[in-house]
Amino acid sequence: MATLHVLSHSPFSDSRLSSCLRLLGPGDGLLLSGDAVYALQPGTAQRQALDLMPAGIALFALAEDLSARGLDASPRAQAVDYPEFVELSCRFAKVNSWL
Amino acid sequence: MKFAIALFSPPHAPSSRRALRFAQATLAGGHEIVRLFFYQDAVHSASSSLVSAQDELDLPGEWRDFVREQRLDAVVCIAAALRRGVLNEQEAQRYGRAAASLNAPWELSGLGQLHEAAQLADRLVCFGGP
Amino acid sequence: MSKSLLIISRQAPWAGPSAREALDIALAGGAFDLPIGMLFLDDGVLQLAPAQRPGALQQKDLGANLQALPLFGVESLYASARSLQERGLAGQPRTPAAEVLDDAALTALIDRYDQVITL
Repeated sequence: MATLHVLSHSPFSDSRLSSCLRLLGPGDGLLLSGDAVYALQPGTAQRQALDLMPAGIALFALAEDLSARGLDASPRAQAVDYPEFVELSCRFAKVNSWL
Repeated sequence: MKFAIALFSPPHAPSSRRALRFAQATLAGGHEIVRLFFYQDAVHSASSSLVSAQDELDLPGEWRDFVREQRLDAVVCIAAALRRGVLNEQEAQRYGRAAASLNAPWELSGLGQLHEAAQLADRLVCFGGP
Repeated sequence: MSKSLLIISRQAPWAGPSAREALDIALAGGAFDLPIGMLFLDDGVLQLAPAQRPGALQQKDLGANLQALPLFGVESLYASARSLQERGLAGQPRTPAAEVLDDAALTALIDRYDQVITL
């Protein structure tokens, strides 16, 4: 049962991203929202960790958060809007938000 | 699909606005919201005492309008609300507090409502943190 | 058949109400006879540390409520081996007793549940 994990904390000041990465299963998805999109910042260990994730793990980022922060999701991540976020929550068997 | 949406963060947290936009998108996408459940600091979004600055987003107001217009079942956890000073008329009287800050369309109830919603829904989606 | 729910508790016991509120969700679920599991991860494993004295902070005894979990039918308790290790708790007795799992086993655990709440 594939899980969509959702993060919203900055990866620099918080351990949720690294904890989450260790628990991702094959076929799981990861949606970056809020300050978690900073993990896509080029030249960071966090970006590198995301780039090194197995291809089977789908990576998404909330478009409005990317836009607000001047970040680019591609090529590894797919920018999604709210309707697509809803679609993802249907596509994956369950949603695990790291509150 | 049927969604249960739980919110754990206060109105000034970006995740609270995200939760509302997500909730709006679920209905726009033809899905159903079985229940909204507000826990931890999210109870503040149900407070009618909150005053937003004129040039700022009035998230409690938006939540209230959304719940009313869509006739949603919107529950606020009573234990979380009491310890954060969000009381309806009944609780304010019970505890001798000066003012009630929680009114319709919000209902105070227990965690059982969260569990019931999770059982009824196809998807439980939680929002919280920043 | 009821949907199963895994509650992942990540906060230290005295870091605010989060640990208590995660536990309340678990207890409520147990009281309704729902299949509930609880995983202590990251700072959440600190809730299991021995010799805690909450009275010193005028806090309620979280440990007593944690021990009540099996009484409420919540017997599936888990702790992250890595989190325990990182916090010097690997060899210590834990209250309540929780099954210690490595990362791969945790991935499989999360996969088995119908729903998850991570606090």
